[in-house]
Amino acid sequence: MMLHTGMRKARAGRATPGLVTVLGAVVVAVLLVWGAVRMAAPPERSEVRATLSAAEALAGGDTEGFARALEPRAFVFPDDHGPHPDYRTEWWYLTGHLDAVDGRSFGFQLTFFRNALSPTPPERASAWSTNQLWMGHFAITDVESGRHVHEERFARGAVGLAGATADPFRVWIEGWELDGERPGDAFPFRLRAAMASGEALELEVAEGKPPVLQGDAGLSQKGPEPGNASYYLSWTRMPLRGTVTMDGEPVAVTGEGWMDREWSTSALGEVHRGWDWFSLQLDDGRELMFFELRRADGARDPLNHGALVAVDGTVRHLGGDQVEIEVLDRWRSPLDGTEYPSGWRLRIPEEEIDLTLTPRVRDQEMNVTFRYWEGALAVEGTAAGAPVGGRGYAELTGYAATENRPPS
Amino acid sequence: MTDLVARATRRHLLRHPWQLVLTLLGVSLGVAVTVALDLAIQSSREAFRVSGETITGRATHQVLAGPAGLPDGLAARLRIEGGLRDVAPVVEGWGVHPDQPERPLRILGVDPFSEAPFRPWLGGGPTGEVDGARLVTEAGAVFLSEGTALSLGVAAGDPLPLRIGGTQPTLRVAGVLEPTDALARQGLRDLLVVDLSEAQDLLGSPGRVDRLDLRIPERISASPEAEAALLALIESLLPGDARLVPAGTREETMGEMVRAFDLNLTALSLLGLLFGVFLIYNTMTFSVVQRRRLFGTLRALGATRRRILAGVLGEAMALGVAGAVLGVGLGIVLGRGLVRLVTRTINDLYFVVSVEGLALPPDVLIRGALLGIGATLLASLPPAWEATTVSAREAMARSTVESRVREMVPKAALLGALMVAAGAGLLLLTSRSLGAAFGGLFAVLTGMALIVPAATVLLLAAVRPVLARVAGVLGAMAARGVVTSLSRTAPALASLVIAVSVVVGLGIMIQSFRGSVVRWLDVTLQADLYISPPGVVANRPEGRLPVALAASAAELPGVAGVSTYLGTELVTESYGVTRFVALGLDPRGERSLDLMEGGDAEGQVFQRFRAGDGVFVSEPFAFRHGVGVGDPVVLPASDPASREAGGGTLPVLAIFRDYGSEAGTVMIARPAWDVLLGDAADDRVTSLGLFLDPGVADDPEAVARIEAGLRGAAGAPLEIRSNRELRALTLEVFDRTFEVTRVLRLLAFVVAFIAVLSALMALELERSRELGVLRATGMTPGQTWGLVTAQTGIMGVVSGLFALPVGVALAAVMIHVVNRRSFGWSLDMEVGLALPLQAVALAVTGAVLAGIYPSWKMSRTPPSAALRGE
Repeated sequence: MMLHTGMRKARAGRATPGLVTVLGAVVVAVLLVWGAVRMAAPPERSEVRATLSAAEALAGGDTEGFARALEPRAFVFPDDHGPHPDYRTEWWYLTGHLDAVDGRSFGFQLTFFRNALSPTPPERASAWSTNQLWMGHFAITDVESGRHVHEERFARGAVGLAGATADPFRVWIEGWELDGERPGDAFPFRLRAAMASGEALELEVAEGKPPVLQGDAGLSQKGPEPGNASYYLSWTRMPLRGTVTMDGEPVAVTGEGWMDREWSTSALGEVHRGWDWFSLQLDDGRELMFFELRRADGARDPLNHGALVAVDGTVRHLGGDQVEIEVLDRWRSPLDGTEYPSGWRLRIPEEEIDLTLTPRVRDQEMNVTFRYWEGALAVEGTAAGAPVGGRGYAELTGYAATENRPPS
Repeated sequence: MTDLVARATRRHLLRHPWQLVLTLLGVSLGVAVTVALDLAIQSSREAFRVSGETITGRATHQVLAGPAGLPDGLAARLRIEGGLRDVAPVVEGWGVHPDQPERPLRILGVDPFSEAPFRPWLGGGPTGEVDGARLVTEAGAVFLSEGTALSLGVAAGDPLPLRIGGTQPTLRVAGVLEPTDALARQGLRDLLVVDLSEAQDLLGSPGRVDRLDLRIPERISASPEAEAALLALIESLLPGDARLVPAGTREETMGEMVRAFDLNLTALSLLGLLFGVFLIYNTMTFSVVQRRRLFGTLRALGATRRRILAGVLGEAMALGVAGAVLGVGLGIVLGRGLVRLVTRTINDLYFVVSVEGLALPPDVLIRGALLGIGATLLASLPPAWEATTVSAREAMARSTVESRVREMVPKAALLGALMVAAGAGLLLLTSRSLGAAFGGLFAVLTGMALIVPAATVLLLAAVRPVLARVAGVLGAMAARGVVTSLSRTAPALASLVIAVSVVVGLGIMIQSFRGSVVRWLDVTLQADLYISPPGVVANRPEGRLPVALAASAAELPGVAGVSTYLGTELVTESYGVTRFVALGLDPRGERSLDLMEGGDAEGQVFQRFRAGDGVFVSEPFAFRHGVGVGDPVVLPASDPASREAGGGTLPVLAIFRDYGSEAGTVMIARPAWDVLLGDAADDRVTSLGLFLDPGVADDPEAVARIEAGLRGAAGAPLEIRSNRELRALTLEVFDRTFEVTRVLRLLAFVVAFIAVLSALMALELERSRELGVLRATGMTPGQTWGLVTAQTGIMGVVSGLFALPVGVALAAVMIHVVNRRSFGWSLDMEVGLALPLQAVALAVTGAVLAGIYPSWKMSRTPPSAALRGE
């Protein structure tokens, strides 16, 4: 019997299975394949689609309920070192050039932007309640190595995360701060800032030349409509000393800085694409500020203006037609090919000033929520026939097409 | 030849559609119950995990608050002094929509400008999906997902009324989040995103942050030393009672709690499958035994054993696949209902989770299907094997099967006894393993089933003379018939016993549990009135009352004394999720603590408790953490001075009975608690217990005056319940948590009933020839009816009788072993009379019903036709 079975084995193995068995096998196979496909499919990325654009948080939008810069005002210190929360935007904008003993040279930018998200704070009891959003930008340019590092921060103006006070003078976003050392005056103050990646700056900032009231006694008109203006003060040559940390080791540095204080509710008009702004510190002891509003129609804006600060601090205001700017070179952002001007010839015929401005490092683009280029410049040229050098900073906004997502 | 076998198999099935249907039903019901429960469990687990992940986002670590919460300024401190950039503060709580009070909504308070690194969908800075500016600046602004908005009946711009604690704020829907996939939809379900400041206001917790999410940058976590240094720095900046843990720890700890609950459900669902297997075994055996002659003929015609075995197994396979597919489908339908019950139980017992829909993980479905197919094949293997191993001649004769089966009966009984012993050993020798408990339980149950045939033979041998005297020849025949056709009756009996015993066992377990809870409530609810802020989740007060209310209450006329409770649920390092209760105990309330260990007649233990010499812990706490009277318990101490002085540890004075929390409760005198927490101490209470002067509780007007006085003093809505109301409410929650078990019991019952019905019906139908002979020799249709009914009735009674001890044993194991190991509760077992009688009645009814159709059919078939079937 066993032998018999064995001999039949081969045939039985080939036997046509019954219909039900076939059907069963098919069902099982389908089930297994379906399961395998389901399991092999890549895990779904959890996405929540955007419903609201949020650019309004920082720009444009309704100005109703905010204070407006309508006419020149008397600046009172130390009060005006502090915040003006009734205006929508405000900044403490520091740039500067630093030199180390070993000959290395650095540029830096540290900006504290205050933004009122609504005219009045919401009515809430919580200490977290606020309508103030702070944004910080911090960048260091290492000229020798061509490195430009930067970081952006956001914090709400509550529970000690960010804020500003006039007396004692203090402006801070988390660990980035300007910290006044003397009651009753902002100057001198300490500047402290460190990036998450380790680069840091620690400086003692003195006042240097007295503040320059830009525009019409500090009222800087940015658009034709009344109120499309800002209050604008500049400290154009602040002595700096302290340390820069680029590669772990702090390096002692000295240098000269520039601080713009500006507050407004609405600045640019509808017709503007952006602006090119320059701050130059010439080695003959003079400083120059000039900005150009770039119009969508390509025409020169009559509101462009600037100021030339003499060695003794006297200011000559310049209208847009008194300054000629010619772009000498362009640079493409490796991020998306956005083209920025990169090198200029700036002339003020009435003053016999003829300068060539060259970025000390080509790539000083700020890849932050609203992309722009802000960088250190080298200045060369002639003033009244004599050669003159210097350094400067340029800010070029409105070139990058879209707003960025914050890096996460 | 092969075609012949296949055709014969097919024709057989088609000619016995009843059998086909019953087999399919058996497989599919068994599969359905397992799949449904598995799906329900997985869905709730998945929902919990996904919502946990959605809430946790991409954090690597979290700072969890102690009893007093985290201070507002800690986030800034960690960023400035700790140099950690990614820190997101979170305030969380619960609320409900007034129209949907059964549905807790999770309120998530965040700082939108800290969110980018964690929950990108919440937006970071100004470019996120949620308009952070609106959240921050518009009082009442809330964002919620599309699905949640839809089910709450609101759209962007609409007001959203809520009930949170005692308040009824109205928010405004500032925007609707549109999740693009199911995962995100699940994660955002029933989630209300508000600004942190809004959340603090809504939840009445100013200055308190519940949690900080942290993200250690990769360049730091890449180096273990750097990470350890940073973590140490963060630790040094935290208040004493805050904890720094890896992200997900909290969810894991909470998920841990549900595991025992899940395992219990899974075990119950496997019981369902076990019936299914019995049922399949039963029908397959039967259908094979029925065809012994056919197989013999086929063999004689030259079909190989192998071919016949393949034919039978192929048939089983086909049935198994069809049944499994049906079962999976049925399981999905059933699962939709079960998931709601499972979720509600979890909400009542553990934490709030809301399930968007039934998840259908393919592995669960495939597992269920394979389990069904495997069980079918396995169950049909013995009969198939038996049918093919005998010689062709033997196969033709029925008697050989029966004599074989009878030889096997003592062996099976022996094997059964061994299994019972092994199972009992497993139960007695292990002390904590839940897996071992269920293993033992199944071994005992299967062992008992194997003993059933032998016990039946013995029992019927003993009863036969009695039956013969009472019902004459027919009575004796009925009894003998059961024994002589053991090959058919044994599986039916065994499955009947198992099914009925499970029904009995679960019934006793639930009844005992409920009885224990009722007794515990009677002891515990000593106060006359209980006052709490209106809560969102039934048995977990979330809100707080000012402590001054206790003093005002004590001065109301008619109030004799006041006990105060301050309950705080914490995830602690030493004990996981634990509830700490700071108790201001009125002497009248001492009796409300049912001390199981450590109590003394004079009540000195209460004096020591009041003096802060130690704590009381609940029974589950003691069991879970192996703590006895005198052992130290680590308490959360925020106050540095108190920590230094070793105030963070107190001995256990007594262990009290508590069915209120499975996680474990630690009770401490209120003054001692306040000392431990120092400045961080909460100066509020979660509830009050009022003791009224004698007779006042029975005077509705006096009670109404007291209630009015309380409401006046509180100036906020209060939930005031008499002890009778609270007792009813607690029992309501209890009953709700046992609804799943009840449903399973019902399913077990249905499966069992169908199993019995099909087995017995098939059995009697198969005897048509025998009955035909009896009819031919003069038996009337009425007598046929009587014989069939008597026989099935006997089987019903027998299995009912056997099911009693098995069911009681099952209940004992579930109460004293499984329940204790799962939840740490000791329960008093109550057997009573009603349940066992019910079970016997169930068995007999099932059996008798099963006899109806065959007797009806037999009595209508002329004997000649029945005989001609040959």
